[in-house]
Amino acid sequence: MIQFPDSYDTIEVPAGGVVRSGGTDLQQRLRAENARPTIVDLTGVDGFAGISSSPDGVRIGGGTTMAAVAAELDASHPALAIATGSLATPQVRAYGTIAGNLTQHTRCWYYRHPEMSCFKSGGDSCPARTGRHLYGVVFDRGECVHPHPSTIAMALLCYETTLILADGSSKTMDELLGDGNDPTRDHLLADGDVIAAVHVEPGWTDERGAYFRSISRFEAEWPLVEAVVRARVDDGVIAEVALAVGGVATVPLRMTAAEAILVSSELTDETIAAAAAACTEGANPLPETGYKVDLVLATVTETLERLRAAGE
Amino acid sequence: MVAIQTTVNGEAHELQLDGHESAVDVIREQLGLTGTKLVCAGGVCGACTVQIDGTPAVGCLTPATALRDREVTTVEGLGTDGDLHPVQRAFMAHDGLQCGYCTPGFVVDAATFVDRWQREHGTSEPDRHTIADALAGHLCRCGAYEGIYRAVAAACRGDFASETGVSLRVDGRAKVTGDAVYTADVYPDDALEAVIVRSPIAAGTVGPISSDSAEHLVDLLDDDRRVRYAGQPIAAVAAPTLIEARQLAADLSVRIEPAPFVIDPDDALASDAPLVYESRAAKKTAPNAAEGPMAPARWQGNLRGPNPTPWLGTLAKRRVKKARSQGAKGHVALHFETAVQLHSSFEPHATVADWSDPDRLRVWTSTQALDHVAHELADHFGVEPGKIDVVSDFIGGGFGSKLSVTPDMTAAIELSRRARKPVRLVLSRAEELTATGNRPGSRTDVDMVVSDDGDLDAMVLDGQSLTGVSINSPYTALATLVYGRSPRLARDSDIVANAPPGTPFRGPGGPTYAWALEQSVDQAAHQIGMDPIDLRRRWDGNDKRQALYDWASNLPVWSDRPATGTQTGRYQRGVGIASGNWLYMVDPDTEVEVSVCHGRLLVRNATQDMGTGSKTVLARAVAGVFDVPVADVDVEIGRAGSRALHGPTSGGSRTTASIHSTAIEAAEKLKAEVGVDLGSAEGASATATRGGDHSMRPVPITFANLQLGRGFSAAVHVSEVEVDTLTGKTRVVSVHGGLAIGVPHARELAISQCEGSIIQGIGLALYENQILDPHSGVTLTSNLEDYRIPQLGDTPEITIHFHEPGWEHVPGGGVGLGEVATISPAASVGNAIFNATGHRPTTLPVRPDRLLEGLR
Ligand SMILES: Cc1cc2nc3c(=O)[nH]c(=O)nc-3n(C[C@H](O)[C@H](O)[C@H](O)COP(=O)(O)OP(=O)(O)OC[C@H]3O[C@@H](n4cnc5c(N)ncnc54)[C@H](O)[C@@H]3O)c2cc1C
Ligand code: SF4
Ligand code: FES
Ligand code: FES
Repeated sequence: MIQFPDSYDTIEVPAGGVVRSGGTDLQQRLRAENARPTIVDLTGVDGFAGISSSPDGVRIGGGTTMAAVAAELDASHPALAIATGSLATPQVRAYGTIAGNLTQHTRCWYYRHPEMSCFKSGGDSCPARTGRHLYGVVFDRGECVHPHPSTIAMALLCYETTLILADGSSKTMDELLGDGNDPTRDHLLADGDVIAAVHVEPGWTDERGAYFRSISRFEAEWPLVEAVVRARVDDGVIAEVALAVGGVATVPLRMTAAEAILVSSELTDETIAAAAAACTEGANPLPETGYKVDLVLATVTETLERLRAAGE
Repeated sequence: MVAIQTTVNGEAHELQLDGHESAVDVIREQLGLTGTKLVCAGGVCGACTVQIDGTPAVGCLTPATALRDREVTTVEGLGTDGDLHPVQRAFMAHDGLQCGYCTPGFVVDAATFVDRWQREHGTSEPDRHTIADALAGHLCRCGAYEGIYRAVAAACRGDFASETGVSLRVDGRAKVTGDAVYTADVYPDDALEAVIVRSPIAAGTVGPISSDSAEHLVDLLDDDRRVRYAGQPIAAVAAPTLIEARQLAADLSVRIEPAPFVIDPDDALASDAPLVYESRAAKKTAPNAAEGPMAPARWQGNLRGPNPTPWLGTLAKRRVKKARSQGAKGHVALHFETAVQLHSSFEPHATVADWSDPDRLRVWTSTQALDHVAHELADHFGVEPGKIDVVSDFIGGGFGSKLSVTPDMTAAIELSRRARKPVRLVLSRAEELTATGNRPGSRTDVDMVVSDDGDLDAMVLDGQSLTGVSINSPYTALATLVYGRSPRLARDSDIVANAPPGTPFRGPGGPTYAWALEQSVDQAAHQIGMDPIDLRRRWDGNDKRQALYDWASNLPVWSDRPATGTQTGRYQRGVGIASGNWLYMVDPDTEVEVSVCHGRLLVRNATQDMGTGSKTVLARAVAGVFDVPVADVDVEIGRAGSRALHGPTSGGSRTTASIHSTAIEAAEKLKAEVGVDLGSAEGASATATRGGDHSMRPVPITFANLQLGRGFSAAVHVSEVEVDTLTGKTRVVSVHGGLAIGVPHARELAISQCEGSIIQGIGLALYENQILDPHSGVTLTSNLEDYRIPQLGDTPEITIHFHEPGWEHVPGGGVGLGEVATISPAASVGNAIFNATGHRPTTLPVRPDRLLEGLR
């Protein structure tokens, strides 16, 4: 069964049904599971795709492709744009959407394996914790040990962001992600909730942004660790800054301790090192993820160096 | 169901959809446009790429409903008015392909890139980084990346805007247009789709299998009804659609009595470990991981071996012991580990069988051993010769995983026999990355004793192959063949476990021995303060490799290399060398016929071309004799049946050396008979048989269709890396590959093979790693995101050099290269990392986590 609602009012997701935007996550899972749930395809909803700006910020329709986010917000929201433009592949960015990115399911290899069951697929354990978790979390905060998949969620943590749902209600990023303690869910939307749009505060004047992911190959690989930063720099001194790290916990993490070090400072090697070190505070790696402590340090260092270079 | 309108390649279509389909399935199955391939089904490889309103999309992740009211362009519609797109011509002319399975996706995407580039930049040439960035959504397992770079750059320059461009391969056009039909593309009318039911658990005994609805069910188990690894085939079922077949498989009632199992090699060696093979009889059923015959060996629990290969072995051990006790400067003692590597051919194992007419069995199958498989299948199913045809026209890669009769073949044929309908059985990527074989992992202890002035005094290697449920994967024995005749001892064992079976993989044992041996040599040179090339020169009795050392030592990248461990910055550059050694094999029973058919030359036998270029080798050989353009020669291989002439298996690097000179001989015979005026010679033909070599010495070993010839082929690889010591990432910057395989027949294609070998070696060195769940034995890396193969952007600048003398005793003066070219690349990368950082990476793959730990 498939439905094509044409307005937000007519969206009704039946029990067991799923909504679909670009399909770049859903189609893969449907094939792997040989599943045929009722699909509510949002691509025909009036106003679902597209970006509009106003003095209080930008409204990004949930069905806006990641390629459009990367291209159109390049000047106003560089951190969000660069991070979005660096994920997945050109083909996936051209069709995958911002709403789908925020609500995609975890890439944990146990979760995605049809022979395995875990908290997230209706089971009652985490086989990754006792098994293999090479790509797992380094801030261990709940029962699930696979990092949150969304690069865009990490970037949006750095902004005042409001999610607007199809029924007109709204949610903050914290309300979407929670604290990562519930191992059964990737996000806290209720069944049938649909993200209609993402509202983001205006960029700062002369805002700079930088992003980096640590991977083993050239690109198009899920990050081992990723980091994003946005900043306003006055006369070489950081006036405002927001920094977040992904690939490290069941939710992306805003790094406020590091921000406190950065703000009112110049981006010297010393400041960068201190900020990067601050990002590893509280890390409690799993048996196989000790290396991610080093990588948090490395990734934040490189991200801040790129921020510095962005101003030159 | 919904009906949507769409335009595909300029033609309007109405599609009936239920909404779950992905675009790639509808394009292939409803529209019959099979140029678009399904490989990873996960958005990683790009083989399914089509343009939607001019923007490339991955068909596997694009809902079919998204094609509504759109203009879709597939590879079949890429050109205009029957003319090819310049990118297609460039891929043909610059050989941006081998097996061709990834090619449609690449050209469909590259076409949009080139058009956009030329709009924005005219006919300037983009750099490699720009091309890699644009095509980051594509992978090529054959590693045709150098050709792809060349092709895309040339198309951007406008080289192929008007001119036709000549294909380097005789089947290049079929591959860039999507016309090439692979087994997975064969959709007979009324065919059933079949799937294999696999064991979800690592060990157990399977009860009777029954199903209420599976009218088409075959049992695939042996009489003992044991399963020994998670993913092992149990049965196969067929139904009108794949979705129904998969549902049937899921609903099948299969009772498995679980048995104790063991996954980890150390656990497997424990005295109380459950036995993978519980009895003598059971041991006899263990699959052979090697291409060669099975050497007898003793078992102790799950350990099979050790099998010693000694030469003054006791003396070797004594010298090692002495050197160790004295703490000798030239004593190298190192432990190495390699990971399980998966072939991951882009066309999965696939068979389509049609036995609807009881008097005629037709089989399409993706195999690198067509003639062999055709005979085995005829035997197995009791089909009289003349009543079976087996076709393997285009093969999307094999790399050793498609050398024998596999369950997809027997299951599809048996299901077709019962159903009296054609049956398709195409494995999924998850199955392909779990259960179709692998290069076994290994653990090696090396002791090497080198005197202060650089003599090799002794060498002892202990190797354990992690063969899963297979046995017989010796590799340290190969290490004894390379350097001189000083005392040495190699001991090879297999550790069996309830893990997927090891199989031959391009140069079986080769990269594995080289990872240990070549790094130990490098370490010895370092310890005694000698140049690693000079040290090898002292020991190496192979004069062809000596010539390659001369070549390597003159490379600027080698002479400019830094002193080991002297760098301090974040990015550290290093250069490493490693050499490779391989056997020369030939199929003396190879027959080739050259005939005149429809006024044209036709060359044929029952070999196959999996991207290695055999079609082109045959065509060029015949064209050379008749002095006609290669395009004037038709090639008919990939068919075994009543009229077939014996063709070699593409394994053991034997194909080219077997077919090339035989084709020349047959062509010369025909020419002697009919002259060059083919007009009056319709129907004339001549056949030649390869036979052994004109050699002074007898050939040492022969078994069915395989002879070990005289001489060793040789390779030397010099790799340059840049290590980011902050993030633990290694980038291979350049590789020089020197090969002594005599005259390379079809030189450009030979170069492409050598380049692909280097890229697969980089995969082995840095990324590739099958990972199992330790508690269940389930393969976790069963997709192309988690099983990481090299990307276009990981390709170093590659230079290939051939040293041609030394093979004059071989007809045609050249031998195979598919395997010798794969032995040393990974080891040379390991040595380069050592040179760069002073840290020797002994465990594969050298991932960021390992390197960071090593550098800490
Ligand atoms: C090779 C590859 C690499 C990738 N790498 C990265 C990466 O590095 N970082 C990263 O962040 N992502 C990565 N991705 C994931 C990719 O970004 C997501 O697949 C994509 O963003 C999903 O968007 P979509 O519109 O296609 O979602 P869909 O597939 O349509 O939906 C995804 C999920 O969201 C739900 N959903 C969709 N729309 C809505 C809505 N409006 N409201 C509520 N729920 C909704 C669906 O029910 C489904 O569960 C990668 C993907 C691939 C294939
Ligand atoms: S609970 Fe989380 S980490 Fe554990 S298996 Fe499930 S998805 Fe993976
Ligand atoms: S098959 Fe679609 S990207 Fe690989
Ligand atoms: S040519 Fe690319 S996969 Fe074979």
